[in-house]
Amino acid sequence: MELALQQKLVARLVTDREFRESFFANPAKVAAHEGLTVAAEGLAQMHHEQLRQFARLLRTRRLAQVSVQMPLTRRALGMRFADLFRNYAVNPQPGKRPFEDGLGFAKYLEEYASAEQLGPEWALSIARYEAAKIEATWLDRRLTVRFLPHAARRLATMLKTGDVPPGSYHRPSVAIWWRATESSRLKHWLW
Amino acid sequence: MGRKTEITNLLANLPRLGAGLSYRRPFGSELLQQQSEVDFIEIIGDLYLDAPTERADELLLLAKHFTIVPHFTGLSLGSAEGVDEQYLEDIARLIKWLNPPWWSEHIGFTKAGGVHLGHPAPLPFSHEAVEVMRQNIITARRVIPTPLILENVCSTLVWPGAEMDEPAFITEVLVQSGCGLLLDVTNVHTNATNLGSDPVAFLEKLPLDRVVQIHFSGGHESKGRLVESRAQPVPEGVWQLLEAAVARAPVRCICLERDDNLPPLLEVLWEVERARTIGRQHKRWN
Repeated sequence: MELALQQKLVARLVTDREFRESFFANPAKVAAHEGLTVAAEGLAQMHHEQLRQFARLLRTRRLAQVSVQMPLTRRALGMRFADLFRNYAVNPQPGKRPFEDGLGFAKYLEEYASAEQLGPEWALSIARYEAAKIEATWLDRRLTVRFLPHAARRLATMLKTGDVPPGSYHRPSVAIWWRATESSRLKHWLW
Repeated sequence: MGRKTEITNLLANLPRLGAGLSYRRPFGSELLQQQSEVDFIEIIGDLYLDAPTERADELLLLAKHFTIVPHFTGLSLGSAEGVDEQYLEDIARLIKWLNPPWWSEHIGFTKAGGVHLGHPAPLPFSHEAVEVMRQNIITARRVIPTPLILENVCSTLVWPGAEMDEPAFITEVLVQSGCGLLLDVTNVHTNATNLGSDPVAFLEKLPLDRVVQIHFSGGHESKGRLVESRAQPVPEGVWQLLEAAVARAPVRCICLERDDNLPPLLEVLWEVERARTIGRQHKRWN
């Protein structure tokens, strides 16, 4: 029983930065608030830096998975992809299913782009396109449609083969995924 | 049944697979064209549970061309709250369909209190944790008769109040559960480097007669520490540790893991070939 409580506390500590730093500052108070006083007493000697290092390892693993799910967005954002993902992943825990982090990160990019500049401008369209593909693939939907303000098809082709020359690439696109039945293969149309 | 007999029985019927690769989707069709260069593939089984049609078709295609060994991270055999029965049933269905020679999970936990970590965290080196692993493995065996092997995890996160050291803990888990060992030599190398200890001394304290499979990969350095990112070529220190392990243990197969920063497949296959040669030199396969 004590181990179950300790694991619950460690799981929070390595996936939630705010909780972790609050706990380090005042372990007894935070643990009592969470009903984990017994666990906290057993873990009082746990090394803070080791917990932070393990939290970073978890984020590295999640980043690798999301990179596979969103390869075009990664190319579009370059080095900023990893930086933005690390910012996204400091608090939300990875989901139970493998695709949940990809959708969560795409949502984070939407929020980030509304507050800060996310260059190039068309990168958000690519992120929306790949998030829609994840939804269409994993969420048992027969029909998924996205309207995008940029030339998604042209951009996707260029990103797959190399760099994208500077430009605005403004041109409305429509992306559609559909299945005839629940068990049939996913069809895709991008124009 | 004595320990020696038990281990002999455990290993006797397991095939010698050779050198293989942990499958990643970007390898895709190119891997099928190079199938003679890969003796088997390992899949991350969690990605194929409750999977859409495209994933199921992909697995069907792979199964037609390769021996597949499924590896899991999400069952969380080290969770004191017990394993998720539905998740276990899903794994059982997949394993029954694949009919692999064995399947693998970790000596660690990936979920607690509704939080999913996505990667195994270490357990305290305690008798209570050994008992948790043993009970959860009993539960798993009720629905999955296929042999289970367990992997050592990568972490320098040390729980306070340890009742034994890590090799003794791994040994106790394997003996109590009757499982084989999936020895990740990169995890051993990374932990030893970060802790400033001797990886070969660690290796020699493990029950090497239980090693069925070996994982190896290359990580990167960050802020003066090794990170097991599986994003770089395999470093020489890991190759040396791999050779030391193969020389000492009756391994059935060696599997390269590469998760990120994927190079052209031919570069990866060169590392698979080098591992195959090490296995041959030590007469683990022909």
